[in-house]
Amino acid sequence: MNASIVNSRRGIRQRISLTAHKYIAILYVSIVNNLTYMVEVVFRSVFLIIFVYIFLQLWTVTYASRNLSSLGGFRISDMIWYLAMTETIALSLPQLTRQIDMEVRSGEIAYLLGRPCSYVMYRFAQYFGERIVRLVMNTIVAGLIAFIFVGPPPFTWQGLVAWPLVLLFAISIEYAIYFSVGLLAFWTEETAPFSLVINRLAMILGGMLAPLEILPQPIRGIAQVLPFSAIYNGPAHTLIRFNLGQFGALLLQQSITLAISCAVLAVIYWLATRRVSINGG
Amino acid sequence: MSIQRFWRTLRFIGAYTAANVQAAMEYRISFWMQILTMVANDGLWLFFWYTYFHQFPLVHGWQNTDIVVIWAVAACGFGLSVGIFGNAPKLAILIMNGGLDAYLGMPRYVLLHASISASDPTAWGDILFAVGSFLVLVRPNPLQIALFILLVLMGAFIFTAFTIIFCSLAFFVGNTDGLAQQLRNALITFATYPMNLFSGVVRLMLFTVIPAGFISFIPLQLLHQFTWPLLGGMIGFTVLIVLLAVAIFEYGLRRYESGNLMGMQS
Repeated sequence: MNASIVNSRRGIRQRISLTAHKYIAILYVSIVNNLTYMVEVVFRSVFLIIFVYIFLQLWTVTYASRNLSSLGGFRISDMIWYLAMTETIALSLPQLTRQIDMEVRSGEIAYLLGRPCSYVMYRFAQYFGERIVRLVMNTIVAGLIAFIFVGPPPFTWQGLVAWPLVLLFAISIEYAIYFSVGLLAFWTEETAPFSLVINRLAMILGGMLAPLEILPQPIRGIAQVLPFSAIYNGPAHTLIRFNLGQFGALLLQQSITLAISCAVLAVIYWLATRRVSINGG
Repeated sequence: MSIQRFWRTLRFIGAYTAANVQAAMEYRISFWMQILTMVANDGLWLFFWYTYFHQFPLVHGWQNTDIVVIWAVAACGFGLSVGIFGNAPKLAILIMNGGLDAYLGMPRYVLLHASISASDPTAWGDILFAVGSFLVLVRPNPLQIALFILLVLMGAFIFTAFTIIFCSLAFFVGNTDGLAQQLRNALITFATYPMNLFSGVVRLMLFTVIPAGFISFIPLQLLHQFTWPLLGGMIGFTVLIVLLAVAIFEYGLRRYESGNLMGMQS
């Protein structure tokens, strides 16, 4: 009896280990693939420089014209580092919706579904690999630019330790949202418009263009409960102004947002895969 | 160019634009959805500026209506550019893949023909937003409306010429599709922020290498306070950049090598 329980546990552990190895291998291939096209990754970072420069000008003028030393608790250097970090996250998003949309439209999804791995997890491993490469490059570029413009970062060691965890949650939430939008290609002629609107909502109400603290009420209140604040504002906030209570609240918000996003994704995926038909050949 | 030839060219552009719109409208829901989402996208940007100016009125003398004007002229200029000359951003790819073959055998001017043979449906969303926001939020007088039309037409020519210049570099240095795309994004981004934020070398760049100043800032000045010299400067720059784009394309075309690509122009 005991021996069979031990064997069964060992079997489950082995299966989990094999599954994990499979997705880690896909993740590794994705990272290597993206490192191969490093010039393209560097090239994309150029736009980041433009954004950080524009925001630096905008907020420097704003602080100077109002004679402000701090705004919503942010000094000008905090503000620029905050925006550099939100831009780092935002501009590292791969074209996930477009990819899923194309796979649905071309019928390629039928072949991918037949593979001995979950389509959702397969794409997540690929997305995660691409995102890691872009995030690292963007962090280097944005960090350098922000350092040149406003000096050393106001990060605390707690913020630096917490950053990877909240970032992992943030990019997982984005994956669930944009993957779900891509799957809408099963029902609609075009998914790019949905993706564009979600992206713009995330930019403005997620705190990518300015910290939510400086938005007027009731917009601030609405923005704080939307999932977008868990993607940009929360993680950047954790890094710039770490506070244990806020960190706990952010983790809770991210967990709830991720759970809801994954539930929506699961429902859409279930409905979508019922529409797939494979006809030999 | 005779007047007759000018009208013939206009009719040619009009016919292509109408055909492109009709083709996009084959997928009617998608077409309207793209238009509406582009209006929403532009509207969300205006919303950001509304909240910004709500908190910080009159930064560097700028106010909400100034932002509406620069967004209206930039969005309309860009919309007309990609709505009518929607294939211009794909020129680098066409050059690289030998895709110009399909146009070289045609009786029409190659650059014009290649540029107008596609249209981006989202462009009409930009135009709709621009015209709507200008009329509703700025409440212009008839003279300002006439000036707005003239300025956005020039803006569209500047956008298109800028795209052609950087795409035509593909004749000389290989694939410049990524470079052209990044620079177009930079042009659009700079054109939608108050120009007073920038000074020194960057400001000089915004009136030369990345001419965002001519797309939104000069039109804003003209709509505020019209002066003939400023309008002359705007027209002069537009003519200059269009001629430069045509010259670079023409010069590059001499180096073009056919891809022996079989293609069909419908």
